[in-house]
Amino acid sequence: MSGETILAPLVAPLSVGVIGEISGTSVAESEDTQEGTISQEDPGDTNESLDIFINNVVSSFSVRCHLNLKKIAMEGCHVEYKRETGMLNMKIRNPLTTASIWSSGKITVTGARSEIDAKVAARKFARILQKFGFNVRFSNFRIVNVLGTCSLPFTVKIVEFSGKYRENASYEPELHPGVTYKLKSLKATLKIFSTGSITVTAPSVNNVKEAIDHVIPLVAEFKAGEGDISRKILLKEARLLKEKKIRPRTIVCYPDDFDSDDEFDSDDELSDEFSYDDDSDDF
Amino acid sequence: MASTNRRPPMVCCPEHPDSPLVEDYHAGDMICPDCGLVVGDRVVDVGTEWRTFSNEKDTKDPSRVGAAENPLLDGSDLSTMIETGPNLATDEFGKPVYRNRRTMNSADRSLLNAFREINQMGDRLNLPKMIADRASTLFKQVQESKSLKGRSNDAVCAACMYIACRQEGVPRTLKEICAVSKISKKEIGRVFKLILKTLETNVELITTGDFMSRFCSNLGLSTRIQKAATHIARKAVDMYLVPGRSPISVAAAAIYMASQASNEKKTQKEIGDVAGVAEVTIRQAYKLMYPKALDLFPKDFKFDTPIEQLPTQ
Repeated sequence: MSGETILAPLVAPLSVGVIGEISGTSVAESEDTQEGTISQEDPGDTNESLDIFINNVVSSFSVRCHLNLKKIAMEGCHVEYKRETGMLNMKIRNPLTTASIWSSGKITVTGARSEIDAKVAARKFARILQKFGFNVRFSNFRIVNVLGTCSLPFTVKIVEFSGKYRENASYEPELHPGVTYKLKSLKATLKIFSTGSITVTAPSVNNVKEAIDHVIPLVAEFKAGEGDISRKILLKEARLLKEKKIRPRTIVCYPDDFDSDDEFDSDDELSDEFSYDDDSDDF
Repeated sequence: MASTNRRPPMVCCPEHPDSPLVEDYHAGDMICPDCGLVVGDRVVDVGTEWRTFSNEKDTKDPSRVGAAENPLLDGSDLSTMIETGPNLATDEFGKPVYRNRRTMNSADRSLLNAFREINQMGDRLNLPKMIADRASTLFKQVQESKSLKGRSNDAVCAACMYIACRQEGVPRTLKEICAVSKISKKEIGRVFKLILKTLETNVELITTGDFMSRFCSNLGLSTRIQKAATHIARKAVDMYLVPGRSPISVAAAAIYMASQASNEKKTQKEIGDVAGVAEVTIRQAYKLMYPKALDLFPKDFKFDTPIEQLPTQ
């Protein structure tokens, strides 16, 4: 995963049209990784993908019976009972989730990384409560909120973006450093930051995906120009490429003094600057 | 207000026979607006009968019609009251026969309270009456819509004041509004967003230039430095050196840069106190702006400390 942040500027000089073509989507719930990710693959260009990470799925269900919170607090493990709000917090390790339990039998589960995980966790909590002896019936399970994050490979001019989309976007620099963009039809709230990160909260994973699909072409219009990518990132990227001996597809990312026509292993001042071959003493 | 009746027998100005005459109610005159000639007088006067001064020992108010009506804001506020005194109508027990009906609508009472609060806030912020009036109008609109019913009145007052300042083009930072109100910044921010949604209005984005004159005069900096700081802040935002930074932090950093380059140096702490920005925030924004200091200063700026000797943080 760490490699992706460095490779990101590579895909930065995408044209708006290419980004808009991201349509073929596959929801890949990989069991080996902790996070559920959605990879959007552009059918035309196999190297471009925008990863959407689902960070939190909040769900709620009911056990349809009254719970004696005090008893659970005394006898249960990994529980916290807050008397002033009348709520009990219970945590389980796998999947790493927290449940807020009310004495009426309503339970809210937070911290799950995918929709399936949320259901599994909910059932585990119900099982724990069942073992206490309560007459538990698993009912009314529904996903309340899904939080997804995504990192665009370019920085965004949020001032102009918020100026254009006045009805939907709200930017208050004193209150929050990002633009809050609300999509009523999808019931999604997106927060777009000037670094290019986007966080989305929506009622379901599909809504998250659609919201990002909807917003990316709008945001790509306000991409900050090439010169705004910091020199540090560009140099890091050039080093990485040299290590992997990859000829990059695009030349525009290079800093001003980088002579693109030269071969990588030619002996000019350029390779002196970037030399970390064996002849260099520093490395 | 132009007079609408122009009957031929009425007098008209000898030099401008076509111009409508303006009535001056207080002096009872008809005046030609083009040359100022008074062409008719002794029209009935509807102004106040007697002048009342607040320091008169004789507290009896000789006015026979009561206070002016509070327009728009209230509805049925009549200031007529029944007088009670020793030799007026009393029944057997010495109690007055006719009670003074002082009960007003409870809605009006909360409105009046809110208006008083808004006026007090305006006084503390040294704002002109016009902005306080606009804030009061906004409050009345919010009250009518009933959508923010559960929110504390003080929070709504503070948020209305904030919006009014913004709408008039003289924004006050949320921290400044916090300083004159007892509501937290978070709550004011929440109510502010709710009010914008209810009234379906938008406010302009704050810019660095809105705060320059206030911060600089609070710090005692001359206009030369203020102009330089304004220029620096605007260029920094245009050149996209400080993406994602609040305009107030950028303004504070620009003031720091301009003051350090002149002979009226101000520390980051002083600027932070005046602007309501933390010292480290000014430092962060300054670090982003310092590399391009040469481009940021205006062309004709006279440096008392050359750019090379500007502090690096």
